[in-house]
Amino acid sequence: MNVRTNSERLVSVSVMGQIASPGFPGLPAEPYRLDADGKPFLLPTYGGIVYNVSIGDSAYGWLADTIHPGVSISLKDDMGNRGLNLFACVGNTAVVMSGDARGAKGVVSGKSGRFSEQVIIHFAKADRLKMAIGDKINVRSVGVGMELANHPDIKLKSCSPEFLENLEVTTGADGKLHVPVVAVVPPHLLGSGAGLTSEGGSLHIQSADKSALKEAGLDGLRLGDVVALSDYDSSWNHGYLRGAVGIGVIGQGDSPRAGHGPGITLLMTSALNGINPVVTPGVNLKSVFSLQE
Amino acid sequence: MPLSTNQSQLVEIAVTGAISQPTLRYPGYTLDDKGVGRVLPGMSGVVYNARVGDPAFGWAADHVEPGVSISNADNAADFALHYLTCIGNRAIVTSGLAKGAEGIVTGEHARLLVDFGSDTNDLLCVGDSIQIIACGRGLAFDDYPQVELKKVSPNLINAIPIEALDGQRIRVPVTTVLPPRIMGSGAELNSEFVDQDLMSGDRALMAELGIDQMRLGDLVVIPDADHRYGRTYRKGAVSIALCIHGDSVMIGHGPGILTLMTCPIPCIEWVIDPQANIARYLNIREMV
Repeated sequence: MNVRTNSERLVSVSVMGQIASPGFPGLPAEPYRLDADGKPFLLPTYGGIVYNVSIGDSAYGWLADTIHPGVSISLKDDMGNRGLNLFACVGNTAVVMSGDARGAKGVVSGKSGRFSEQVIIHFAKADRLKMAIGDKINVRSVGVGMELANHPDIKLKSCSPEFLENLEVTTGADGKLHVPVVAVVPPHLLGSGAGLTSEGGSLHIQSADKSALKEAGLDGLRLGDVVALSDYDSSWNHGYLRGAVGIGVIGQGDSPRAGHGPGITLLMTSALNGINPVVTPGVNLKSVFSLQE
Repeated sequence: MPLSTNQSQLVEIAVTGAISQPTLRYPGYTLDDKGVGRVLPGMSGVVYNARVGDPAFGWAADHVEPGVSISNADNAADFALHYLTCIGNRAIVTSGLAKGAEGIVTGEHARLLVDFGSDTNDLLCVGDSIQIIACGRGLAFDDYPQVELKKVSPNLINAIPIEALDGQRIRVPVTTVLPPRIMGSGAELNSEFVDQDLMSGDRALMAELGIDQMRLGDLVVIPDADHRYGRTYRKGAVSIALCIHGDSVMIGHGPGILTLMTCPIPCIEWVIDPQANIARYLNIREMV
């Protein structure tokens, strides 16, 4: 990496969450959600310990709605949960502090947004088997406040120093930050999350139109894939702006719901066209962080 | 001649709300697209000088809600107010100095928006009760079942000059075409609830496409947008919507667009008509 950061000045601070239970709305007990064609469905969704879906697996094809790979945590205290959702950065180390998996280490891989606000963490499958809902997980957060010395137009969000280091981003001859990505998402396929904060949460690819998805080369995405967003400015919220470019990671799986689909956790953004996404197959958190099965 | 509908089968039912007080979260800043904190009015209360028919852009305000904004303090009753009220429904002041005055529902944002006119506005107080004679849920065209109507009252549907083109297609007047790539905040919600903002952050694009000339109350079209069960991109789908609130300084926000008609296949055509505004269709005010 030929890019300098202020990472030696960053403060690392604990943010804690507990393994979140999947939840459903209360009475009248109508458990269904509607898909984009109005058909009711009842499927697993965010939260909990997901035993068989991991970073590196397909983002599509699961019988689930925006499933979070691995383990999802949150804190019941609203202000505390905001601290967790804002300070946890993709690539931060998470340590299990209670229960039978105590001491197991994982890696933050994404976040979810409005209505769930959880942090998603990769743990080895063997560790997941020892975990219980409610176990305390401490994230050693570091990354918020990080800046790139020669790219003042680029804002980093939920981005750890390790992610930048391992992804091997470079300043190109054009002066732009060159970032390897598996695909570029066009603005007309970005849906839920637009207008909401880019410091946490998720921005979703809209997957209802399967042929549009295929045309854009997004039908083969995997959980953990690094992607670019074209003509989207995520400086404070996510929104349309020609020339703006964002970089994010596929944090959660596809959804049958209108306006939804695989979710993106935003990692960097330039409102001034200062990022050059370089399409490169296989750029995924699994290899970026050498994640264990 | 209006298209024939099932309006004789619709039920009229009362729902109620109270005029809401504007609120701010301390210290009151909204970040604009440059990250500058702004303190701006716009939402809730009685807005005396922004009305349907006025420009949607150019106010020193954020998400300005024209006319009077009402909500119900009881959560379930508030959802009923949201889900049952339709655009063009009659509203009646039921307490306070303006008791008995009549208005018309012109939009639904986080609160319901009602136009009363300035004489009544002068008498209204935050907290006054407003009752709405809700009617329109269930409304459908007899001959175009593929076109779904949402939150549109029989009054309004009968007042819009909709043309029957053939057995499959209708044509609706609109002032503005909104490309699907600029549809933003609200995509996370179901499409029976409130609106979706168009994203006005690309100011040059707003001017290029004439979107910055849009007025509160304008009918607009979003091609390739399916708003039946949420709001999603779908090639060939068409949604007709209503501009209900003003522009915003926030990234991903802008004037609010509320769905009135939607079809997952290309059965709704449109024709540009600068006069396509509910202020005219519902005889709310003279349009300049």
